[in-house]
Amino acid sequence: MTANEHRTTVWPWIVMAVAGFHVFVASMTVPPDALQGQLSRIMYVHVPAAWLAYLAFGITMLGSAMYLWKKDLKWDRRAHASAEIGVMFTGMTIVLGMVWAKPTWGVWWTWDARLTLTAIMFFVYLGYLALRRTTDNLDMRAKRSAILGVLAIVQVPLVHFSVIWWRSLHQAPTLLNPEGPSMDTSMVITLLIAVSGFTVMYVAMMFKRIELSRLEDAVLVSEQTSSGPIAGHGITSPDLTGGS
Amino acid sequence: MKWYAKFVIPAVVIIGVLGVLMVNLSSALVYYNTPAEVQTREAGESRLRLAGQVVAGSVIEEDTTVVFTVQDCDIAVSVIHTGTPPQLFSEGIGVVVEGTWNGEMFVSDTMLVMHDEQYRADAGDYDQDLHTCSES
Repeated sequence: MTANEHRTTVWPWIVMAVAGFHVFVASMTVPPDALQGQLSRIMYVHVPAAWLAYLAFGITMLGSAMYLWKKDLKWDRRAHASAEIGVMFTGMTIVLGMVWAKPTWGVWWTWDARLTLTAIMFFVYLGYLALRRTTDNLDMRAKRSAILGVLAIVQVPLVHFSVIWWRSLHQAPTLLNPEGPSMDTSMVITLLIAVSGFTVMYVAMMFKRIELSRLEDAVLVSEQTSSGPIAGHGITSPDLTGGS
Repeated sequence: MKWYAKFVIPAVVIIGVLGVLMVNLSSALVYYNTPAEVQTREAGESRLRLAGQVVAGSVIEEDTTVVFTVQDCDIAVSVIHTGTPPQLFSEGIGVVVEGTWNGEMFVSDTMLVMHDEQYRADAGDYDQDLHTCSES
């Protein structure tokens, strides 16, 4: 088994093990919040999804900066894979947040600072993915998206601190809070298990997505360099004249 | 043009635009007014949002309306809300009400419940004074 195969086949199993443990702890053993009741359990998926979106966009920034410095397409593939996964986590954060908001706040959506800025971040990174489809030239694509990948990171602190900088409906951070965590220790531990589960999921998806990008790029390069038909001789009609 | 100029100039422009947006949007990004701010407003038809903690013992429920007092930083405003309050509405919790200020009472038709960032299995462990004043 090569290192690449190892990464893409073993990591999903690690994800399932950690996620299974996470689901068990977050839904069965940890006590519910006294005020919100069972609804507070949504926190154990909403919060890690949001943090992993921050992390993913941070890795996109690093990969983009590394590409601009080294001009090596492997950094572009890492930046791209992370952005795609980050968009997924941002979408997850928004959907899970809406499911949480309806029974607690009383509305699915409202234009407060945190929600608005998160929605903008989601669409800007969708724009990053769209920008990558504007050219087939790998170096051109990498350069354009790397510039956006570096600049777009300013949104992450903006989203995170929006609840502290402006009066918002969304509550302030519980764990990443300058005044220390304002939740029971059992809940902190559950949240940390949840975050590790989401982190291994991110790592597993990164391996898979980067591998896929490598193959996609190889196909693109072979299409651009070869003059023959794309499928080669695979689609020529079978030889019916000769033979026995 | 030097290679870095291609990055530095757009970066400076974008950060500048963001800065201008931030400064100007700051008031728009504020989701609600405090009781103190609402009291200084002219009575009128313009819609605004008011937030504060529901004062214990102030809630009077009638057929289609709820009357209560919200307080922030020791300044209180009476609210008359038409409609069913959200599930989590209770004394001591933070609420945002949307409506108009008539000079004496806040007339609301939309209410959102604000839950704070505290999670406790035992209700006695909540820090009740954490959000008694939104401006520090």
